[in-house]
Parts: sequence; C-alpha cells; structure tokens
Amino acid sequence: MNNTVIPSNKAVLSALLRADFTTQWRNRRSVVLILFIPVIILISWKGLVDKLGGPFVLSNCITIGLNAVGLMGYSNAVARDRDKGIFQRLRVAPLTAWSIMLSRLAVQLAMILLVTTGVFVAGYYADGIQLTPGGYIAGFAMAFVGGAVYLGLGQAIVGLIKNPETVNAVTRLVYFVFIMVGMFAEQGALPATVTKIVKWSPYGTVEHILSAGMQAGAWTQHSTIELLVTIGYALIFSAIGIRWFKWTTK
Amino acid sequence: MTITSTDIVLQVEGLHVTYGNFKAVDNVSFHVRAGEIFGLLGPNGAGKTSTLSCVEGLLQAQAGSITVAGYDVKLQPLHARANLGVQLQTTNFQPELTVAEILQLFAGIHGVPLTRERLQEILVSIKLEDAAHKRYGQLSGGQQQRVSLVIAMVHNPRLVLLDEPTTGLDPQSRRQLWERMEGLRDNNHGILLTTHSMEEAEAVCDRIGIIDHGRIIAIDSPQVLIDNHRNDPAVISVSRKGKITLEDVFIGLTGTTVRS
Repeated sequence: MNNTVIPSNKAVLSALLRADFTTQWRNRRSVVLILFIPVIILISWKGLVDKLGGPFVLSNCITIGLNAVGLMGYSNAVARDRDKGIFQRLRVAPLTAWSIMLSRLAVQLAMILLVTTGVFVAGYYADGIQLTPGGYIAGFAMAFVGGAVYLGLGQAIVGLIKNPETVNAVTRLVYFVFIMVGMFAEQGALPATVTKIVKWSPYGTVEHILSAGMQAGAWTQHSTIELLVTIGYALIFSAIGIRWFKWTTK
Repeated sequence: MTITSTDIVLQVEGLHVTYGNFKAVDNVSFHVRAGEIFGLLGPNGAGKTSTLSCVEGLLQAQAGSITVAGYDVKLQPLHARANLGVQLQTTNFQPELTVAEILQLFAGIHGVPLTRERLQEILVSIKLEDAAHKRYGQLSGGQQQRVSLVIAMVHNPRLVLLDEPTTGLDPQSRRQLWERMEGLRDNNHGILLTTHSMEEAEAVCDRIGIIDHGRIIAIDSPQVLIDNHRNDPAVISVSRKGKITLEDVFIGLTGTTVRS
C-alpha cells in the first residue's frame, strides 16, 4: 500500500464548480431563454400592474422563471449528463457523490439569483415597480425557497424517468401546465375548484409566499402555512428524486 | 516508493454479482501486476462490465473482495479510486468544455496541480498542442480517445482500466494507442484492458483472462493459451486458416453462439 493522498473537499468542489459554471456559461442561450419568458410577461402585463399590484406581477413572473430553472434547466442537464456517462466518469474519481450534486445545485442557485434579479430589474425599468429594501430581500429569500420546490420537482422527474428525451418532454409539459393553468387561475379566469387547486399547488404556494414576502405587512398566518406547504413540497419532491435517482441510464 | 514489477496493483478475489436470480459474475478471481497488461476477454454479457464496474466502485458485489494498490474498494473507496485511472467506453466529458478545461477539471478533482507549462507538455505528448481551446465535442474519435487516456493518467495512477479503448478507431490510431499502452506498462503501471479484438489482445496483453457466463474459464499468456488448446477439438473445429489463433481459442472455449 502506498501513501495515497485524497484531495480536499475544497479542491474538488473548486474544480467541479469551475467546470459546471463554465458549462452553464457556454449554454448561455438557454439561460437567456429562461429569463426571456418572465421578462416578456412582465413587460406585456404593464397595463395590469395598477389593477393586480406590483408584487403580484413580480411574484408570478419569478415563479415562471423558477419553474424554468428547475424543470427546463436543471432536470434536462442532469438527464443529458447521466445519459452521456458524464456522472459515471466523475464517480470513478476520488470524490463523493454529494460533491457532484452540490456543485450542480450551486449553479442552479446562481440561476435563481439571476432570474429573480432580472425580474426585479425589468419590473423596475419596464413597469416602474419598486419595492422596499426589505421587500427585495424577502423576495430573494422566498425565491430560494420556491426554487427549491422546482429543483426538487426536476430531481423527482429525473429520478423517476431515465430517458433524456422523455425527461425533456415531461418537463416541458409540466412547465406548460404550471404556467398556463397557474397564471389564468391566479387571475380568476378558471372555475373556482381549479383556482382552489392551483392556490395550494406548487405554483400557487410559491407565487403567494413571493408576493406576501415582497410586501411589508402583508405576511399573515396564512402565508406561514403556505410557506410550510412550500417547504413540504420541496422536501417530498427531493426525497422522491434522491430515493429513485440512478447515476446511469443502464 | 519503489515499485517492483511483481507488485500486485489489482487483486480480485471470489467476486460474485447477481441481478435477481441471474449470476452475472460467479466466483471470479484474478490479479494484475504493476508493469503488466492484463486482458479481460469475453463475449457480450459474459460478466466483463459487471466485473469492471465493481473494480471502479460503481457496483457493489454480493460477495468477494477487490483491492486496488492495496486499498479495499468497499472500505476505502476514495483511496482505491485515487490509485485508479479509468477510460470508459463512451464519450463522457461535457462537450461544452475545452480540452484544457477538462484536463484542469480532472487534475483538480485528483488534487494534482496543473500549471500552464505542464498542461502544454501533456497536450504535446498526445499531439494535441493546438487543440487546448477546442471543445471536446469537436475532436475526432481518435483525438477523443487520446484525451480520454491522458485524463485517465493525469494523476499517475498505479492501475489503469481501459474499457474497449480502440473501438471505432482507424488502424493508425489503434496502433498509436497500443504504443501508449505499452509505454504505460514500461513505466510500471498495471493495465486492465477489455476488448473484443483478439488481434489487440494478442498484440499487447501479457496475460489474458477469458470470462464466460460469469466465470473465468482460462487465464494465461496469449501464447500459452494457444499452445494449451492447440489440440482441443472445439478449437480446431473453428479454426479457419489451419493455424490456431487466439480468436480460435476464444471461440472454441466460449462457443459459436452469438450473444445478445
């Protein structure tokens, strides 16, 4: 037996983060697309800001962005890398599985930050929506909680489905259903039963905690229940995704 | 530490892998020494990939033990993997990353400092000095194999696993890869090679293990395997040119049935 030196977690994470952020940067067209839809909706809803309220408009757009990050970005990237054997190649190196996933999640946290900032900036310049500093901070905090729901959902999808094309199709479908049904129900355009379901769905709870968080004094006991439900969604989806996730498609 | 040619860098003992009721690997034992190219040959589904996956730590065996450079892959997986260089069959690097970035990634996760000069040296050694900023997905098959092999070697491992490394390569690239394998052997690395090419096994392997239905059915040097089975009726019956080759021995021992 020789004197084998195991690289430190810091060195391993630093190398992984560098590679994962570079990969994300090279895929910046998809980053732009993730930002594009919420910003377009934000601009097109300019006339509704007075009627619906700035925080409501912002929270809907951030929710749509978070949907895209977790469902379109994260799950498809994981499905592709698993199919190509990129994870298997990393797993035969002297590093732990959690470090591979931690690096991936760090990239997604940066994406959540970017989407939320993008919506706040676009909301300010395009629609003239201005929040208090506390509203912005709470908005970011709620965006991370809401982002965890959609990352968890993305993880659950790649945990339950192996084929990358099927993952792609399912995530697009879920994304489409969430944003279409979610937006219309939030505006009261759908039957009461559907509106009630949407209210307690991952779309509704995330949108509500974002909206309540952005308005000083608007946070109620009901918002706390919605926050707990949101955290519950994140935990359940993540547990499913981790439990059934396989590193290889074979 | 001085490595002698008799050092065992991989020891597989009594390995058993089952999938449900199917025995994929059944009491497999073999070893690879430093400075040796050991070929693991077998038809499709014979148990090669399962054995290799156990060595890589990607699959848990139901019974048996595996040590890499003296480290048990179950008890000290990180230590075992730190002594292991792997070239897998398929393309398995992010296609968006450049050759230099992939090298930096793998040097980083192995804790190997990679200066610009060292990076250039590595690229020159694989004749890709102008490809540092080329994306991996833009390289030819032969270039990708060279990159893959050099990445497997970036931390100077004692054992190198090469899983069908010459599949799809043209004869020139294949010969070049053989020379690289022989160079690694000369530098006292142990190599575990899987291949479906009997020509390749005969050309580069010092010893060969033939695995079928999860069991090692023969293990020796290519020439000894040929000599030992020269008069075997099953081998003679499949011989095509009157001269017994390693392929004749392989087919004679494993049968002519095509496996899925």
